[in-house]
Amino acid sequence: MDKKLKDLEQTYHNIPIPQELDEVVERALKQNRQKKKRRTPQWLIGSAAAALLFTASLNVSPAMARTLADIPVVGSVVKVLTWTEYELAEDTYDATIKVPAIENLTNPALANALNEKYRTEGKALYDEFVAEIGDLKKNGVEAHLGVDSGYEIKTDNEQILSIGRYVVNTAGSSSTTIQYDTIDKQQEILITLPMLFKDDHYLTTISENIKEQMRAQMADAEQGKIYWLDEETMPGESFTAIRADQPFYISEQGKLIISFDKYEVAPGYMGVVEFEIPTDILQNDLVSATYIH
Amino acid sequence: MKTRNAFQYEEQFVQFIREQKERFYLLAYSYTKNEQDALDVVQDSIQKAMLSLDRLENVDYMKSWFYKIVVRTAIDFLRKHKRLQVTDDDTLHYLTPAQEDSYEDVDLEYALDTLPQMYREVVILHYFEDLKLADVASILDIKLSTAKSRLYKALQLLKIQLQDVKGEITHG
Repeated sequence: MDKKLKDLEQTYHNIPIPQELDEVVERALKQNRQKKKRRTPQWLIGSAAAALLFTASLNVSPAMARTLADIPVVGSVVKVLTWTEYELAEDTYDATIKVPAIENLTNPALANALNEKYRTEGKALYDEFVAEIGDLKKNGVEAHLGVDSGYEIKTDNEQILSIGRYVVNTAGSSSTTIQYDTIDKQQEILITLPMLFKDDHYLTTISENIKEQMRAQMADAEQGKIYWLDEETMPGESFTAIRADQPFYISEQGKLIISFDKYEVAPGYMGVVEFEIPTDILQNDLVSATYIH
Repeated sequence: MKTRNAFQYEEQFVQFIREQKERFYLLAYSYTKNEQDALDVVQDSIQKAMLSLDRLENVDYMKSWFYKIVVRTAIDFLRKHKRLQVTDDDTLHYLTPAQEDSYEDVDLEYALDTLPQMYREVVILHYFEDLKLADVASILDIKLSTAKSRLYKALQLLKIQLQDVKGEITHG
């Protein structure tokens, strides 16, 4: 090689290498490995695509929805679908919001009310997120922000459909909230917590039972569970009683499940916590044994 | 099939990156002229590469395949940030420290830096990174004949510049 070129190459290689390079490279390699592990299996993409197509045709064609509802097997399966999905992925911002829709209820008022609520809340969540990152960008703040929202069907039997919608907000640490809607599929009514009981006494009954369960769980040190029960450890923040509109659902076995958001009654690592309330302690308060038994 | 490729090559890729990271950094730096941006380009390139590792048909192509990713990422980066250098000779002379001792080094660097990007990248890939001209052409998405003529032109420019530099030194 020409002498000049050799000198040129020398100067090229003399450019200082920053110390961060090692770290940057290792981080990039590691990040991708994690990403790869989390990658959706091929078959799931296939069935997700099929489900999407299915959903799309149901949304597009009421005729098809009706036809399917008439077929007994499919009709009893098709109850909750993903109506819309909001997605946003930028360098440090991530949003996935799945909005469910309940189909095939013959009571249109109930179906519309719920679906409208889901759609409005889903859209609001998305708009809020977009506004927030817009603010951050305008102020030149670099931040990692994410929102992940979706739904899960807790119970779907002859009588009851319980659907839970969760929102996970990530900004450094994450917070999770979850809301439930429970429907009586036969009567086609939305079940609320107060309507299950004769009077307000259930609030005390359930709260006392939850406290007992908390104490019992904490007594077993091996489980490492902690609840904010003690006024001394969490002054002003400790759990005293459930709210009248505390999130709840009815399990497949007809048990009442009370749910608390992350951080509501326990430290973050406990996540969303649930308590199953034994039916026998509720006997005196329950209106009937139709839903909870 | 695809995933098998990806797993098969992953180990080799990780090793390749670890061994050669300084080279990629220098290549990225030759475009960005800035430490932080060059690091960003290296990081993005690795991420892109790992995500498309399953599309690599033959492990022998890994080197030129990855250089291609780095070059494209760097060019994309410049396009996005529009931080193309527009420094004319006078300003550069003005900014160059007036020390006799370091003259030669500074001017060598200057010679490469002032070479337009399209010539500089050919020189770097072919001479400094030891890639065949055919590979250089494929990395830069240009014809082999174009790569050849750019290299020729680059050498011409460099020679002229380097001679000029020498002339300055003897006269000055």
